Amino acid sequence: MRSILAAAIEEEADVTLVDMEAGLEHLSRSGGTLAYADVLLVVMEPSRKSILTAGRTIVLAEELGIPRVYGVGNKAQPGDDEFFREVCAEYNVPLAGIVPANEDVVDADRAGVLLGEGRGGAVHEAVDRIVAYVDEHLGETAVVGASAPAG
Amino acid sequence: MKLGVVGKGGVGKTTISALLAQVYAARGQRVLAIDTDSNPNLAFSLGLDAAQADEVPLLPRSLVVGTGNGALSPSQLIEQYGAPTPSQVTLLHAMRITQAGAG
Repeated sequence: MRSILAAAIEEEADVTLVDMEAGLEHLSRSGGTLAYADVLLVVMEPSRKSILTAGRTIVLAEELGIPRVYGVGNKAQPGDDEFFREVCAEYNVPLAGIVPANEDVVDADRAGVLLGEGRGGAVHEAVDRIVAYVDEHLGETAVVGASAPAG
Repeated sequence: MKLGVVGKGGVGKTTISALLAQVYAARGQRVLAIDTDSNPNLAFSLGLDAAQADEVPLLPRSLVVGTGNGALSPSQLIEQYGAPTPSQVTLLHAMRITQAGAG
């Protein structure tokens, strides 16, 4: 078996999502865990350090040939939208969405629990829009056969 | 679809991963979420408690980085290592992959 994302996991899952630990190792060599990703979301917050990491990640992802590499702005305060737009324009990647800073997320993290439907409303809406963005752009290049709802 | 979520530590990858996974699961798709961190934080964001998170079996490194011998089919892999969660997402807990691709 090759790495888990290279395997025929699509027989068993319509969506395989990998939450990558911090670091770039998974992108640094051919056959790394993310070399076979259809979509890579590069999450940033309004900090220069996270932006620099994002820039290095984007370069590696493009070298690996990942077909869709998108930026996502997180923990956005009012007025940060323009910041994320400028960063993504500089790195030449589309901005898939911006998730606002939200006290319910902080509370859920502090408690170590799931962020329920009833809390963090604006955050759920932002994530819905990111999913819609990914859906909309899946058909543009590679064939992805497993994106239809399971029957 | 295979979707990766990356970024500097602390930017909120886990929260966004969990919310994305829940959106796909809520519309009826079969979702496999893989946490590659040594601390199983994704488990909490998908609704497991600490005891349940501890019981999620670790994927062998050979399966994560692809040096395995092909002994497991994808369905066997999910059956043996996948953990159901309250958000209807199946969780796989992978080991650290600092040496990914080496050797």
